[in-house]
Amino acid sequence: MSIPDPGHRITPLRETWRQLMASARSRAPRLRASLIGLALAAIAQGLALACLMPLFQALIPRASWQAALPWLLAMTGLMLASTVIRWWAQGFDYRGDMVRNTHELRSELGAQLRRIPLEVLQDKRAGGVNATLLGNVDETLSYILTIANMMATALLTPVTVALAALYFDWRMGVVLLLVFPLLIPLYRWRRPAYGRGMRILADANERTSSDILEYAQGLPVLRATCCTGEKAQRLQASFTHLEKIQTIGQRKGAKPNLILATVMELAILLVVFLGAWFVAQGSLDIAVLAALMVIVVRFGEPLATFVLYSKVIDLIEAALGKIDALLAIEPLPQQASTGMPGEFSIGFIGVEFAYAGQPQSTLKGFSAQLPARRMSALVGPSGSGKTTVTRLLMRHADPQAGRVLIGGVDIRTLSPEQLNGLISVVFQDVYLFDDTILANIRMARPDASDEEVEAAARAAYCHEFITRLPEGYRTRVGDIGGRLSGGERQRISIARAMLKNAPIVVLDEPTAALDTESEVAVQRAIDALVRERTVIVIAHRLSTIAAADQILVIDEGRVVESGRHAELLAGNGRYARMWQAQQSVKHWRVGET
Amino acid sequence: MSDRQGAGASTGVWAVMRPVQGQIRFAMVLAGLAAACALGALAVLAWAVAALLAEPGRWPWLPLGLAAALTVLAFVLRLSAFNQSHYAAFRLETRLRTDLAGHLARVPLGYVQQIGSGALTKVMMDDVKALHVFVADSTPLYARAYVSPVLTFVLLWWLDWRLALVATAVLAVGVAVVSLAMRGSGQMMQRYHAAGENVSKAVVEYVQAMPVVRTFDTGTTTFHRYQRALDAFMDVVLQWYRMAGFSSRLSVAILNPLPTLAVLVWLGGWLISHDTLDAATWLAVLLVGTGMAESLLPLMSLKHLVAKTQMSIHRIQEVMAEPELPEPDMVQAKFPKDASVRFEAVDFRYTADGELVLRDVSFDVPPGSVTALVGPSGAGKTTVARLIPRFWDVSAGRILVGGVDVRQMQPDVLMRHVAFVFQDTFLFADTIANNIRLGAEGATMDEVIAAARAAQAHEFIERLPQGYDTPVGERGVFLSGGQRQRITIARAILQNRPILVLDEATAFADPENEAALVAALSNLMRGKTVLMVAHRLSTIRDADQILVFDQGRLAERGRHGALVAQGGVYARLWNSYEQAQDWALMGARA
Repeated sequence: MSIPDPGHRITPLRETWRQLMASARSRAPRLRASLIGLALAAIAQGLALACLMPLFQALIPRASWQAALPWLLAMTGLMLASTVIRWWAQGFDYRGDMVRNTHELRSELGAQLRRIPLEVLQDKRAGGVNATLLGNVDETLSYILTIANMMATALLTPVTVALAALYFDWRMGVVLLLVFPLLIPLYRWRRPAYGRGMRILADANERTSSDILEYAQGLPVLRATCCTGEKAQRLQASFTHLEKIQTIGQRKGAKPNLILATVMELAILLVVFLGAWFVAQGSLDIAVLAALMVIVVRFGEPLATFVLYSKVIDLIEAALGKIDALLAIEPLPQQASTGMPGEFSIGFIGVEFAYAGQPQSTLKGFSAQLPARRMSALVGPSGSGKTTVTRLLMRHADPQAGRVLIGGVDIRTLSPEQLNGLISVVFQDVYLFDDTILANIRMARPDASDEEVEAAARAAYCHEFITRLPEGYRTRVGDIGGRLSGGERQRISIARAMLKNAPIVVLDEPTAALDTESEVAVQRAIDALVRERTVIVIAHRLSTIAAADQILVIDEGRVVESGRHAELLAGNGRYARMWQAQQSVKHWRVGET
Repeated sequence: MSDRQGAGASTGVWAVMRPVQGQIRFAMVLAGLAAACALGALAVLAWAVAALLAEPGRWPWLPLGLAAALTVLAFVLRLSAFNQSHYAAFRLETRLRTDLAGHLARVPLGYVQQIGSGALTKVMMDDVKALHVFVADSTPLYARAYVSPVLTFVLLWWLDWRLALVATAVLAVGVAVVSLAMRGSGQMMQRYHAAGENVSKAVVEYVQAMPVVRTFDTGTTTFHRYQRALDAFMDVVLQWYRMAGFSSRLSVAILNPLPTLAVLVWLGGWLISHDTLDAATWLAVLLVGTGMAESLLPLMSLKHLVAKTQMSIHRIQEVMAEPELPEPDMVQAKFPKDASVRFEAVDFRYTADGELVLRDVSFDVPPGSVTALVGPSGAGKTTVARLIPRFWDVSAGRILVGGVDVRQMQPDVLMRHVAFVFQDTFLFADTIANNIRLGAEGATMDEVIAAARAAQAHEFIERLPQGYDTPVGERGVFLSGGQRQRITIARAILQNRPILVLDEATAFADPENEAALVAALSNLMRGKTVLMVAHRLSTIRDADQILVFDQGRLAERGRHGALVAQGGVYARLWNSYEQAQDWALMGARA
């Protein structure tokens, strides 16, 4: 469930209306018509109820069927009209307009996610919000008509009755007109309090959630250290805390609700009291009072329901706001094309880059030339900026200063498709989709034939294990789940890169998470992949990259050393120290203490 | 309404509420009373009108005062009912989460790992929370939906049986249409929720995988998958509308107060004009009876809620149904005699009908010796390590620790005898000192520091802003993988248990920290019985015993030299290990 933002304030009604119409897009006119229809239905309902006043005058105290009949017919006609109009208006829901609309909206939001800079997308918090938005937007928006109908019957119907009552007895009409709009300030008064309570509750929920996750993740350790009891106490404290917050929230949240509902109900009674007083004085026809009583006692119910559902209005407003915000994110600007690069060397020229919201730059005047069809290695401590370099090359974000060039062409002049077409990446973590192996490889080039996919798989040393799977290439990854080893998954991802056949290959710790045996196979696959390409590799194990044409040692966002392995060793600098540390560990054996 | 079918679907809901049943009943009684008071308020208003009709000159203060009192009373009762049901729902959440946490501490750990901590957290947090809407919000509405029409009918019957019958007739038509709307809705709702879950899954996949996927095809493939899930969802919803849209719209149109009001006004008006009804009674009927059908409306949305809750309940019950590991009772429990470990003809399969993962594995680890478990991935070495702390129980054979079957020991006795260092170093969101102290609660600060020193962790801990009191984890300091590993090693050193199981303890160290890690492990292993799962074969060359696993069997055993000479599985592993170590990317020059 989405939570109103901190510093929650009430969105102006006109803004909500604008966002609502924007969200309905091509169906905005129909939505508007439906909403107006609901309002008309509520007014017709009010008029139908108002007919009770003359009708009762015709029947009480002395009954005259002839006098009553026209009003009976009018009432029935208005009721039918109200029902028919409402029926038609609700068709926006029932004919599937709303469903189609949220469907299109979700598609559009999804398409927008593909355009926005990856840096924005990878911001963990935003990512979660986007997932929630895409997941829930349909449920939230599907309440729009229901809520609108409630608002109409809770507010417009009483006001219509009140206006009609003015005609029969102006005093009663005025009292009614004063009473019902009372709801609005009352409602506005209690909403911020509701938002506050929601926030406190959301925090408590989040805390419990992370405590549970910690418990579930730490169970092996907790059990091995016999702490399930003690730690469960800590978890228990978290549960108790949540329950306390919930209970307080309920008590505090219920109070304004109680006041609101009681005030409304008593206000209705006040109308009745006053009416009875006028009748007792002889200044009001008892038939009018009786009619008003029958009418107003039914107003309590819709009002109470409306108040109950008011939190859904918050959700709708929040969702509309977030949709607006997401759609407003601009994709990275595309500069005028100067043509595709003719060769595939890579240049970083004075690149400054800081991640959004971080005071410190990750790259500080980073400059490097990576020659075409040669292998360049990036080494350095974690956090030094190695991965950021590769991300900027793939244009997850644009640097604040400096340029990134491929074959002399600024990557900002290339379209996302063009840029992506130039680069293959093999990550440490492999993401396989719950689809067939064939589809998982083919996603690198959707138009590839089965033969081409198989050729790529052979080149990546996958073919053999794939054909041993129950249904070969048609085996669904989800069906075999954990049965693919890390090395096998990695080889599938290399097959993807093979199939893509891009001139530049980025390897980000591709073998870090593998066991020895898989490693050999993955290594062979990588050897096949990098042939004749421009390669950037990030690896912890320095022996892996010892043969690189160029090793760039990065620290604190800058290149501090560069050269070939032998040169760097001879230079006796940072790289040499790292190399020696790794060599000494290689010879450790158990029992040697 | 369609009660029998509803009862079938909701047994789970009511069953899961059992721990707070009393309070829920109380809440429902209060809600019922509230409905009665609200009706009473209408009845005395009718009395007030009757009084005014009879004696127009007198202000009927008594019935009017009573109406006010009953209205306030109804609200207080209604509020209390909702308060009670909410408190009960909160209590139920705590109770269910506590039960689940306790249960997870007793089921095979393998189950926890198989399901995954993320999924379990979702059950414990989200699914338990999902019950709230039903337990807290719906139970009072249920009470009202049943009490209100029945009392209204009784009252109407007493006032005028003819009008009572027509009002009930409207209600009956409404109910008939509702059940028409609900026909087959159970199945439809299941499809709806299934399609909805597919969309959620596709959304998560789409958003999470995007950084990776965009580099391939700007996300076209995943976008299509996302799109397909959305299409399927829309189809289901549209079909549902086609199936039930008309009748559910119709039922709302009938059950709202207008039709009831219309028939009561028409018939009443006619009866009055023909002098077979007096005005006071008619007005009373109108006041009391118009809302009769309306109180059923919430039942329709409730039905939807129950279906949604049902899926959550199912998941909760699934977790609770996982059998717990049997524990010996206190009297029969035994204590290990020494620091040996012994496997006797152990067979193991994950599920009763699954493949054998270990077959007939027997070996002996004498006290104070170092044993390495090696083998290709999937050979079963990690399983062997994890059977010792009873992540699972064996399918056949037995495992002895200190000469005693692990199943005949109290779990905490077993755990006090064996220390584990896992591949994934898990630190709790607590201070560093408390993370080291875990499992050795009595340890003094000096002992903690000594352990940290032995684990080569003291130096970096001292350099942290608050030293040993620095919190780790989300809101604390960020530690590198190697640093975290050394803290878990310090933990194991402090626990000082005679048997040590290392599960790929050196797998993920970063190179800068490797030397320190190696020193820390050496200190930890001194004088212990050690079983270690190892990939880095060079580290185990001096082990007292190397157990080589292949396809679930113990294929070879012996010391390094002998095994290499033997030319079997181990020799092959050793070769590929050496080869991998020497791999250097040749890039364009290859």
